[in-house]
Amino acid sequence: MNHLASFLFVLACAFLPSVLASTDDSLLETPLRLNGIRVQQAFGQTQNIAQNATVKLLRNEKVIAHGTVIDPRGFILSKASACIGARYLLTDSGIRLPVKARKRDEACDLVLLEVIGGGHEWPTLHWSDNNDSTDARWAISASPELDEIRLGLFGGKARPIGREGGVMGVVLSDDNQSERGIRVLEVIPQSAADRAGLKTNDRILKIDHRSVRSKQQVNHAMQKKDPGDLLLLHINRMDDAIELRVTLGHRSVTFDLFNRNLLMSGPTSKRKDNFPLVLQHDIPIHHNNMGGPVFNLEGKCVGINIARVDRVTNFALPHTVLYPILRDWLKP
Amino acid sequence: MIIRGYIALLIATSSAAYSLLAAEGLMPWEKECPENYEDLLRIEVQIQKHLSKTKSAVVSLETEDGAGSGVIVSAEGLVLTAAHVIGDRGKKITAILSNGKRVSAVSLGGSVFSDAGMLKIENEAVLPYVNLAKVKDSSLGNWCYALGHPGGFDSTRGQVLRLGRIIGKQDETMQTDCRLLGGDSGGPLFNLNGEVIAIHSRISQQAEENFHIPIETFVSNWDFFMSDEFYNAQKLQEGGFLGVASSLTPEGLTVLGIVEGSAAEKFGLLEGDILRTLDEEPLDSREKLAILVSNKSPKDPVVLELSRSGRLLTFRVPLGSRVNQE
Repeated sequence: MNHLASFLFVLACAFLPSVLASTDDSLLETPLRLNGIRVQQAFGQTQNIAQNATVKLLRNEKVIAHGTVIDPRGFILSKASACIGARYLLTDSGIRLPVKARKRDEACDLVLLEVIGGGHEWPTLHWSDNNDSTDARWAISASPELDEIRLGLFGGKARPIGREGGVMGVVLSDDNQSERGIRVLEVIPQSAADRAGLKTNDRILKIDHRSVRSKQQVNHAMQKKDPGDLLLLHINRMDDAIELRVTLGHRSVTFDLFNRNLLMSGPTSKRKDNFPLVLQHDIPIHHNNMGGPVFNLEGKCVGINIARVDRVTNFALPHTVLYPILRDWLKP
Repeated sequence: MIIRGYIALLIATSSAAYSLLAAEGLMPWEKECPENYEDLLRIEVQIQKHLSKTKSAVVSLETEDGAGSGVIVSAEGLVLTAAHVIGDRGKKITAILSNGKRVSAVSLGGSVFSDAGMLKIENEAVLPYVNLAKVKDSSLGNWCYALGHPGGFDSTRGQVLRLGRIIGKQDETMQTDCRLLGGDSGGPLFNLNGEVIAIHSRISQQAEENFHIPIETFVSNWDFFMSDEFYNAQKLQEGGFLGVASSLTPEGLTVLGIVEGSAAEKFGLLEGDILRTLDEEPLDSREKLAILVSNKSPKDPVVLELSRSGRLLTFRVPLGSRVNQE
């Protein structure tokens, strides 16, 4: 991502007309808009397929994720980090069933859930194994309540997403000459460093018992760390030697507070990095709708939603990534 | 257009024939709403048909203050963008072409009234460009797609494509349900023939009601913007003051209200008057009127042509000033 601030005008300035906002009859009626009911109806059978193949996953009666019905025996695939503690699912017809986690894949952030107890008739999912030509194609997912569909396009290159790594949430001095450690210029509020008690003007002497003499050395030490990892810091605070334990945070969560684009986007997925290959689409769904399937116009499942990144961006893991994992998990 | 004219003719004679012809003669994206798989597929295919050409003309812009987008509309490197991206005239800006090449550009004119802005890429031999749609060609319900660089240039991601429909169009503003984010500002909105119909301007709190500057606004004030005229809030406040509130209607620039004690009131302008020309310059947008008036000084006389109840009237009006108004 670009470090530069991006332009946006959030609200109308003094010169702008209020005509559009005030007279509703000059606006296109809602059913005819991209995600309106009339447009949805044109999708015919694909609408039913999308809704039937998606379930809501519940923790303490709250929807925390969606899931994809991947096998008529009652297996559900979802985003692992989003549905920790899910005990029940709700189908699009409102049937509530208990689920149990059976398999996990940390690398792709996937979990396989099994529906406990039989009796429910599950649909068979048909995959699209042609991931090469998704660009500018319709992308279809179930709506948050599974009562409608939501529409968008695949756009943006299919690509791997690198690790963003764990962060402390500090701004460090560039001054490499100091023998007395690396000076902390700023501590991001509510960051890992803030919670651990690090303060402005503290000097970092050691990380995990290793001396650091430059900002680059600190960055190097951080590169191997993930969110949730523990870091032991030796610091100098006004000539007192202090030890602090920092549990690293997510880069996106730590810096979100200061990113206007993310302020405009509403809640996003905590984990949106470190995927071998993603497809990008702009379907309007929420961070707690990850794990559900994305379909093409033909009603074939292209992949599953794995991260809401911002207001214009969702990532989906394509069938090519899912296939080897599922083959292993579901072998008879 | 021929098809449409033909249909319009038929409406008068037989509405049944109209609906029959409408179903056969309209492209799927010209229907009120796509009806089935076939329509949706043809929309998808139509977007793909123009996508790579339109993408090749989209640029990411880096200024001192941030990142925006723009679109090249001539082989010589004229770029349309948003006024709030360029900030002022004569500013150095880096444009990143779709192939990743960084080139230097300098801002031309623009206006904060509509948020329209222009810049010029310098010293590049031949550049890919796209055409503008015809004026008044786009209207409510048209399908469209947005391109841009949300969050700034990202070579591994490329440009981001978003689909939507025109949900509002009035004066200097077009609204669509294409989703936008910071960094998209100044980027192009295309019709399904791959022509530019608007430039991204502002993001609404509602994710699916974003604002664009329609191409008509650029065309109306093209010569001002090309000649490095930048109209910021202060410049628009200075100069003369006529004192009419207006809006573009199918009849023309229609007077909606008269400011009390203003030049417009003194000279007897009335609500419903259609403003035609000011000093022989055709008035085809509110912004044009604002610019022409702000280029004058208070007490400068202007010749205003208008039509009232079908009659053409000519007024010679000395402008007032905004300061006296307050």
